[in-house]
Amino acid sequence: MAAILEVKDLCKTYIIEKRQNNVLKNVNFSVEEGDMVAIMGPSGSGKSTLLYSVSGMDTPTSGKVKFDGKDITDMTANELAEVRLDKMGFIFQQMYMMKNLTILDNIVLPAIESKADKKTKAEKIERAEELMRKLSIIDVADNDINEVSGGQLQRACICRSMVNSPKILFADEPTGALNRTASTEVMDELVKLNGEGTTVMMVTHDSKVAARCKRVLYIVDGNIKGEYVPEVHDGDTPLDNERRLNNWLMDLGW
Amino acid sequence: MYRNVLKKDIKRKKTMNIILLIFTILASMFVSSGLSNIVTVMNGTDYFFDKAGIGDYVVITQGVDNDAENALRGSKYTESLKREECFWLTKDEITSGDKALEAKNNTVIVQPIQETGIKYFNMDNSEIETVNKGEIYLSAGTLERSNLKVGDTLNIKSHGVDETYTIAGEMKDALLGSDMMGNTRLLISKEDCAAFKDAEEMKPYTGHIYYVKTDNASELKAEVSESRGTLFQGERATIKLSYVMEMIIAMIVLVLSVCLVLVSFVLLKFVITFSIQEEFREIGVMKAIGIKNGKIRRLYIIKYLGLAVIGGFVGFIAGIPFGRMLMASVSTKMVLGNDSGLMLNIAGSLVVILIMIGFAYLCTGKVKKATPVDAIRSGQTGERFKKKTRYSRRKSHLPNALFMAVNDVLSAPRRFIIIVFSFFLCSIFVFGVVEVADTMTSDRLITTFGKKSDIFITDTKLMGIDFLSETGDENQKKTLDAIDADLKKMGIPGKASMEVWYTYPITAGGRTTSMLFQQNKRTHADEYEYIEGSAPQSKNEIAITPYIAEDLGVKVGDKVTIDFGEEKMECIISGSFQTMNQLGKVLRLHEDAPTKMSFASTLMSIQIDFDDHPDAKEVDNRIRKLKDHYDIKDVFDAAGFCNDCMGVADTMNMVAKLLLLITGIVVILVTILMERSFIQDETNQIALLKAVGFKSSFILKWHVARFMLVSLIAEVLAIALTYPVTKLWCDPIWRMMGATSVEYFFNPVSLLLVYPGIILLICLAASFLTGLYTYRIKSNSITNIE
Repeated sequence: MAAILEVKDLCKTYIIEKRQNNVLKNVNFSVEEGDMVAIMGPSGSGKSTLLYSVSGMDTPTSGKVKFDGKDITDMTANELAEVRLDKMGFIFQQMYMMKNLTILDNIVLPAIESKADKKTKAEKIERAEELMRKLSIIDVADNDINEVSGGQLQRACICRSMVNSPKILFADEPTGALNRTASTEVMDELVKLNGEGTTVMMVTHDSKVAARCKRVLYIVDGNIKGEYVPEVHDGDTPLDNERRLNNWLMDLGW
Repeated sequence: MYRNVLKKDIKRKKTMNIILLIFTILASMFVSSGLSNIVTVMNGTDYFFDKAGIGDYVVITQGVDNDAENALRGSKYTESLKREECFWLTKDEITSGDKALEAKNNTVIVQPIQETGIKYFNMDNSEIETVNKGEIYLSAGTLERSNLKVGDTLNIKSHGVDETYTIAGEMKDALLGSDMMGNTRLLISKEDCAAFKDAEEMKPYTGHIYYVKTDNASELKAEVSESRGTLFQGERATIKLSYVMEMIIAMIVLVLSVCLVLVSFVLLKFVITFSIQEEFREIGVMKAIGIKNGKIRRLYIIKYLGLAVIGGFVGFIAGIPFGRMLMASVSTKMVLGNDSGLMLNIAGSLVVILIMIGFAYLCTGKVKKATPVDAIRSGQTGERFKKKTRYSRRKSHLPNALFMAVNDVLSAPRRFIIIVFSFFLCSIFVFGVVEVADTMTSDRLITTFGKKSDIFITDTKLMGIDFLSETGDENQKKTLDAIDADLKKMGIPGKASMEVWYTYPITAGGRTTSMLFQQNKRTHADEYEYIEGSAPQSKNEIAITPYIAEDLGVKVGDKVTIDFGEEKMECIISGSFQTMNQLGKVLRLHEDAPTKMSFASTLMSIQIDFDDHPDAKEVDNRIRKLKDHYDIKDVFDAAGFCNDCMGVADTMNMVAKLLLLITGIVVILVTILMERSFIQDETNQIALLKAVGFKSSFILKWHVARFMLVSLIAEVLAIALTYPVTKLWCDPIWRMMGATSVEYFFNPVSLLLVYPGIILLICLAASFLTGLYTYRIKSNSITNIE
């Protein structure tokens, strides 16, 4: 498989009240097409900064980020916006939505804005409805955003992130604000999307969520301390995998 | 601890606090200056007249052979009398270099400054106490009209007098200052006046102005009505009415002040509510940790009190020059003011401070009712049964940015109503003034001045003062016959006539009073418009105005007696008409009525009616021919004549532009502050859009489109309602001036294109430039949202 995301010597430094804070220190890793990577680490370790730096939402202090063969660190703001719109999808911990739009309009808005394909407006709406049907939220298509549950809203956010058929899906604590049932529902959808070929890279605190990924990167103080690839054993239950991941994490000081 | 919370709050919510402070400053500035201007305008002419000492009744005479002074001095109704001696000139007798003076009317009064007369004022409203030898003061507005300046020389050459003066300045003249009074006054020193007194030929042109203090002006008027040589007699109320146009303009400032006050309060209420909504989460946290409601409320009220006091004080200071600027633009001919000094400004600012505290108290009232959880959720319980979104992408064919703008306005109309309201209020007012100014410069008002002729000539060269004499009738006939012959020679098929005003005593219901009568001997009385009854059909029929009917207590069908000098004639009132001449206090005579030019007081104009109904271009062409032929300037078509009669269209246009400027400032301020508030409120949504790949230009388009949409709604509403609203505020003014029914002129270029276009462009520029701030919000701001 070809690498869709290659990160080389990535550094990110914040200056807060004249004090230099090196959040990311020479981070190197790559993500292959179809991969599903979880980034874990303690609070303040630089997980979210890493996610936002590699997705073009934040500008790295130094280093290179190659996405789909192109270095995004050299791109202008408008070029980055186009990449994010057409080739990347985003899911945030808080289910941010445009408050004056319905669920469907929130989902279809990026599709209509995208000029990447020649689909008509009707086809784009159809695509959004198809995604909603798939994620079982078609019934709330015309609802306002505060007329639905948190799980439904996060699934709507997934639909929005998928509406332009992105090459990669970035998720920052996608289940962080959800209860256990809603969390499982959302993860089921992400695993399903990954199974259909979408690359997923997510930040999470939850080992239960991370255990469902194909790869886990553990970051401490801006450095990747280790990488975990689950071993597959016959007769394993999901709990076994989670237990093995927890053991690995504990070995790293989690 | 509370001090620390407040300090942190002010620092952290810098933007919102600055916006609130600016709104408070604006509100205080508008309200303090507005309150002061409202009282000033309400005082209006009374303040000016009292300051000048004009009295209750004024009589103006010409010639030595007049007995008005005796009648005034002998009347038991005269409490005291002030007298000024003056000399009557024509404007072509006054020159600067090779240019004649451009006066409001043909006749000009020159007189020395006299202790026995009224007070005159400099343009800065200080009293003119002396005039130096060799210097001269002119009525306000004359310098501009004549293209002269202070320091230029002015020569008077009239009936044995040949004197040159240096222009010392312009003056505000309570009696003759208004455009409607018509006469320009020149003020010279006592020493210079000796030349006029000594000139024997000047004797017939000597006149007097009497300012009488009385408590019964109407009885005094009846006693003086039959005095010879009086050119004008008027009560204080009549002279006050002559300032009606100046007062209209002053009233515009009053209404503008009220508008600005309204806009300020509405915006203040919005910004405080908006700002307190932002605080709700913190209020919830404070409640959750057990801080009492009273203390939480006190904390925020102290913050708003601080902002209100600072804003109120700065606004009070800024309001002083702002209010003066507004009044200065409308009181070039009047001394406007009030005796309260700055007290009203202080009161205005205090009102703003109190109202702001009141708003803050009411808005924080929710603190008491809400549970900590409600407050943390910004007062929303999460349950809502009313659908918010009104517009759907499925139905819309608009581009995304425009769709979102429309959807925002439809989904949350309340937050945009304030903008619509502010823009609408200012715009409708500007449009109204523009409509009135356009009406004044159109021919819509012509029938309120006389008959609609093709050409009107008012130039002194043809309208010489010689008409107003014993041989005037013959001179009039000769002049009109000569014009008819000249027209024939020029190949212009038409005939000339002259509208003349006469003063005759009229007796109705046993009471005799002096009145002005209009007559044009070469036209038929039925060529004029009537609002009731019919035109006078014979010499013993007259038409009256509703104001004369009220004044004399008569109606159509009644009989009155007119003393034409050589014969007294009983006349029947055949009809009623509207006129703005003499503010409606004039009667119309049949063309055969036995008038004499020796009783004439004013020549309105020479009118020419063409027989071949030429188009406007040809009328312009003929105007040019007449100007060249007679070497004269004051030749007008009907619209130009109306403009000349009103004399305030230029001022109205100037006021319209001033209002447009203020509207522009309001639009800019409202747009900047509201847009900035919206950006502050929508930071997370903007960051979200950027995070998912929307460009900054998209956000800018969305925000600008939203403002353009609401300003477009405001402008469309203002245009649609301009006619009824203008009618509402302007019809009473026309009525005061004598016109009971005025057809307004809606000029599509100015009212559909120029003025709304300028306001929309200002809004576009302001929202665009403010919207650029959204470029500073980065996609990664989404991680910092609380």
